[in-house]
Amino acid sequence: MAEDLVLDTAIRDWVLIPLSIVMVLIGVLRYFVSKLMRSTQVPDGKIVKEGQVIVRARNLRAAANFIPPKSFRARRAYFSNEENGLLHVPKGQAQNPQAQMFSDPNMAMDMMKKNLSMIIPQTLTFAWVNFFFSGFVAAKIPFPLTQRFRSMLQNGIDLSTVDVSYVSSRSWYFLNLFGLRGLFSLILGEDNATDDAQRMMQMSGFGFDPTKNLGAEKDGLDIVQHEWALPKFEQRAEAVLRKLVS
Amino acid sequence: MAVGHGDSSSSDKKSTDALSDLQTFNAENLQSNMKVIYYSRTFLSIIGGVIAGILGFKGLIGFVFYFLVMAVTSAALTAKAKFSIHSYFDTWNRVLLDGFFGGLMSFVLFWTFAYDIVHIF
Repeated sequence: MAEDLVLDTAIRDWVLIPLSIVMVLIGVLRYFVSKLMRSTQVPDGKIVKEGQVIVRARNLRAAANFIPPKSFRARRAYFSNEENGLLHVPKGQAQNPQAQMFSDPNMAMDMMKKNLSMIIPQTLTFAWVNFFFSGFVAAKIPFPLTQRFRSMLQNGIDLSTVDVSYVSSRSWYFLNLFGLRGLFSLILGEDNATDDAQRMMQMSGFGFDPTKNLGAEKDGLDIVQHEWALPKFEQRAEAVLRKLVS
Repeated sequence: MAVGHGDSSSSDKKSTDALSDLQTFNAENLQSNMKVIYYSRTFLSIIGGVIAGILGFKGLIGFVFYFLVMAVTSAALTAKAKFSIHSYFDTWNRVLLDGFFGGLMSFVLFWTFAYDIVHIF
């Protein structure tokens, strides 16, 4: 099929543009709603403390080679000392915060709210698209696809000879869904709830953060080989100055 | 130590500690630089999509155009970083490849949109 179908201008006016506008607006709405709903969260003191301890341990590990060996060892003992080291979590307590995290009603409610605020607008919009905008060709995608995509992209259109490039509005919806992520990150700033891929990654790392991290940090600290870099600095300074002078 | 002490008017910030052999990175500045790359790529892929649609690129040529736009973005970022990539980012891959596929979806969306509006309707 090499000829171009001529599509009614009304399709453009009443399908493509409104669908895109609606999706953008729903995204913005979702962003503001999630911001409003999120403001009632009081951070737990204990968890914040643990987080800060982890940050300190990480800084120590990263900058270990700038301090003399003795100071490094002293700091490391402070963190990983068996009795009262900050990072050492007694075995019995290790499981508790994690279980508490999941059974804590606040956390569960928050996660559920976030999930719902993602899923419901998508589901509603999809149902709306299916109901109103099905059964006709909505757009032409500028690149050719194989026949296997036909059933996926053209599901409202029952003609099998139409070029696969002519797609139904459902596929326009999906195209918008993925493509508007970039647009949202531009107009809403970084902290937007519409970027579902990023949030999936955050969600998977969330549940095990507190307890496993402490153990991991402790192991990391124990592993570090300390090599004091400062004695070499005089030679390095000499080399730099020599280069400047010559 | 030149760790982001407001020495440039652009939003790129130096992220290495110049006095050490060890490459330490100021994480906050590194992240801010990453964001700059991401925004530039997203913005340019949207604009590139609209241009490709208006000019009527079909099929493979459109994707070639996308690669071209991404290459131009990388080149511009490299030039902005005054060709010393390692004082702003940790690896070359960041400048070249990061945000590539995220931009692809936006590119395709705006390409389809512009193409349809201009050529089909």
